[in-house]
Amino acid sequence: MSTVLDVRDLTVRFDLPRPSMFAARPQLEAVRAVSFTLEEGRALGLVGESGSGKTTTAMAAIRLTEAAGGQVLFDGDDLLKLSAEQMRLRRRDVGLIFQDPYSSLNPRARVVDIVREPLDLMDIGTMDERMGRVRELFTLVGLREDQLSLFPHQFSGGQRQRISIARALTTNPKLLVCDEPVSALDVAIQAQILNLLARLKQELGLSYLFISHDLGVVRHVCDDVAVMYLGQIVEQAPVATLFDAPRHPYTQALLAAAPSLKRRKSQGYTRAMQIKGDPPSPINPPKGCAFAARCPKSRQICTEQRPTLQKSDNSRVACFFPA
Amino acid sequence: MSALLEIEDLNVTFNTRYGAVTALDSVSLHVNAGETLGVVGESGCGKSITALSVMGLIPSPPGRIAGGSIRLNGEELTTASPARMRAIRGAEAAMIFQEPMTSLNPVFTVGAQIAEAIMLHQKVGADQAMRAAVALLDRVGIPSPDARARDYPHQLSGGMRQRVMIAMAVSCRPKMLIADEPTTALDVTVQAQIFDLLNEIQRDFGAAIVLITHDMGAIAEMADRVAVMYAGRVIEGATADDVLDHPQHPYARGLIDCIPNIAKGDAALREIPGVVPPLHLLGAGCAFAARCAHANNRCHTEKPKLAAHGHHPAACHAVQEGRI
Ligand SMILES: Nc1ncnc2c1ncn2[C@@H]1O[C@H](COP(=O)(O)OP(=O)(O)OP(=O)(O)O)[C@@H](O)[C@H]1O
Ligand SMILES: Nc1ncnc2c1ncn2[C@@H]1O[C@H](COP(=O)(O)OP(=O)(O)OP(=O)(O)O)[C@@H](O)[C@H]1O
Ligand SMILES: [Mg+2]
Ligand SMILES: [Mg+2]
Repeated sequence: MSTVLDVRDLTVRFDLPRPSMFAARPQLEAVRAVSFTLEEGRALGLVGESGSGKTTTAMAAIRLTEAAGGQVLFDGDDLLKLSAEQMRLRRRDVGLIFQDPYSSLNPRARVVDIVREPLDLMDIGTMDERMGRVRELFTLVGLREDQLSLFPHQFSGGQRQRISIARALTTNPKLLVCDEPVSALDVAIQAQILNLLARLKQELGLSYLFISHDLGVVRHVCDDVAVMYLGQIVEQAPVATLFDAPRHPYTQALLAAAPSLKRRKSQGYTRAMQIKGDPPSPINPPKGCAFAARCPKSRQICTEQRPTLQKSDNSRVACFFPA
Repeated sequence: MSALLEIEDLNVTFNTRYGAVTALDSVSLHVNAGETLGVVGESGCGKSITALSVMGLIPSPPGRIAGGSIRLNGEELTTASPARMRAIRGAEAAMIFQEPMTSLNPVFTVGAQIAEAIMLHQKVGADQAMRAAVALLDRVGIPSPDARARDYPHQLSGGMRQRVMIAMAVSCRPKMLIADEPTTALDVTVQAQIFDLLNEIQRDFGAAIVLITHDMGAIAEMADRVAVMYAGRVIEGATADDVLDHPQHPYARGLIDCIPNIAKGDAALREIPGVVPPLHLLGAGCAFAARCAHANNRCHTEKPKLAAHGHHPAACHAVQEGRI
């Protein structure tokens, strides 16, 4: 098994507006020294609350957001060090799918042109070859050839997400970055797209960096999961380990909060673990563990020192008192 | 015992560029005092329109209650005067919306808004209403309620704003609380807090709750009974356990089998093929027939009624004929 993506100490900072003309420009550290690897043919899930840095991590890893530091080894090259031209050539190895299929497709373009565009832009193949590839992709994602010349608005939400997937696969990438790919879809349609993504991963040997706030979806799609909190990975483990034996109190709280068909009011279900409040502000992150203020296990050391990720077997957890 | 809220054969139509379309088609529901009814279904199936009908808030035109009845505590609401509906809203039935920002006024402090809601329905002075508002903020779990009462809505997080909405909704101790996707915009840990709060409020105030959601997991956790809606009709209704463990209607079965479960991974998800038809294309038959593996001629030509056969009521010919 080879490593597709090896991210080391990735850090992203955003400049915020100056509070006054002479004040220093405050910065927000959205991604704080994040490291992970993604193996070929596997799916790594990134989960965590809104604002925890999932999207920024993924976008910085494929250099669509500028990183302040770190390395991203992709097939041996550090993407962050490539020249603009070298990076442009590398783009074909990465596909991208977003949450909102409505806004990510150009409403005035026919879908055949939308799906072919990456090949046009990168000047790959003859026109005939490109059209052949588009037809092949349409079949692959479950669309019909007679739909090629329609416009995005003539498709349903689920079909539009199929179009985005076809487009993301046009250049035959190794890595697919999926940012909340089914969050805007109804469950019935969501299942169609999740099954499609599972099949494509299998058939094409793709690797996924898969962002979702829905833990059920992550459990279904991913092989490994990294849990993010305030710009850092607080726990990472193979999917079954993470769901069946979570070690970080935040992971435990997330799992306790996720609704499940098994938790019944009729059987007097009450939540085992309830955390209070909201995540702290990323502008002035706490000195110690970012989760300490909400953590039922927090002790003095947690507010004074920042726990680092400790590795054991295939898992990592950043907590002074892991389960 | 008669139900607190009884909706019977409710029809709601909208004038659209395709002509009049039927958004609610013979919807019947009831909610007993102190219980939670979950209303679940895909986007556009009529969940919000059902809720808005109860509150007398259907935008009209283009919408219109074309038939049926809604009784709250025995009082008919479909024919109630606008003044009477204003009195009922807040005092007897209150609603919590998905996006609290749309229902909070950005230019008043949250304390002032809750106090105003209290003064609208109760004969109390401004000071007393403000004290009651602060007490409510405390009750819904907002830290430093005195200080937060002086905040404007935009100064609060999404979860806090939803708590403010709940405080406002329960300020006059309504018997009926309708929550329309109250947590869709929130993170799961905050969603869990809001759900737990709704349950506490139900215990303390004895309110009946209608929880509208598209999440079957939320139904399992929160609801005593469930109504499953599809294209403007209730297609199955029973206790939450009955619907979740023995779904009858093929759509309800599909809806439960297509949910990726946090308790297990692998196994391909069951799919429901196709999409919900738009309202103006609904024909004479069952709206689900085109997506249904069990549909026969009758399903395409005759609408099934919600009737019990075997386990519990489902609006499906195949179930009623014993074919599935
Ligand atoms: N362009 C930007 N300028 C300033 N701050 C930003 C920018 N993009 C993101 N942020 C901030 O960086 C942090 C991480 O944001 P990010 O979008 O990566 O979170 P996320 O985990 O993807 O959240 P969500 O689940 O809401 O999509 C947040 O605090 C966000 O406000
Ligand atoms: N003002 C309107 N004019 C025309 N049709 C409308 C109007 N409001 C709602 N409808 C239609 O009524 C139907 C029911 O809408 P409703 O908002 O109740 O759906 P819902 O079940 O709440 O969906 P969601 O889960 O997306 O909130 C939809 O098909 C919608 O298109
Ligand atoms: Mg994001
Ligand atoms: Mg709605």
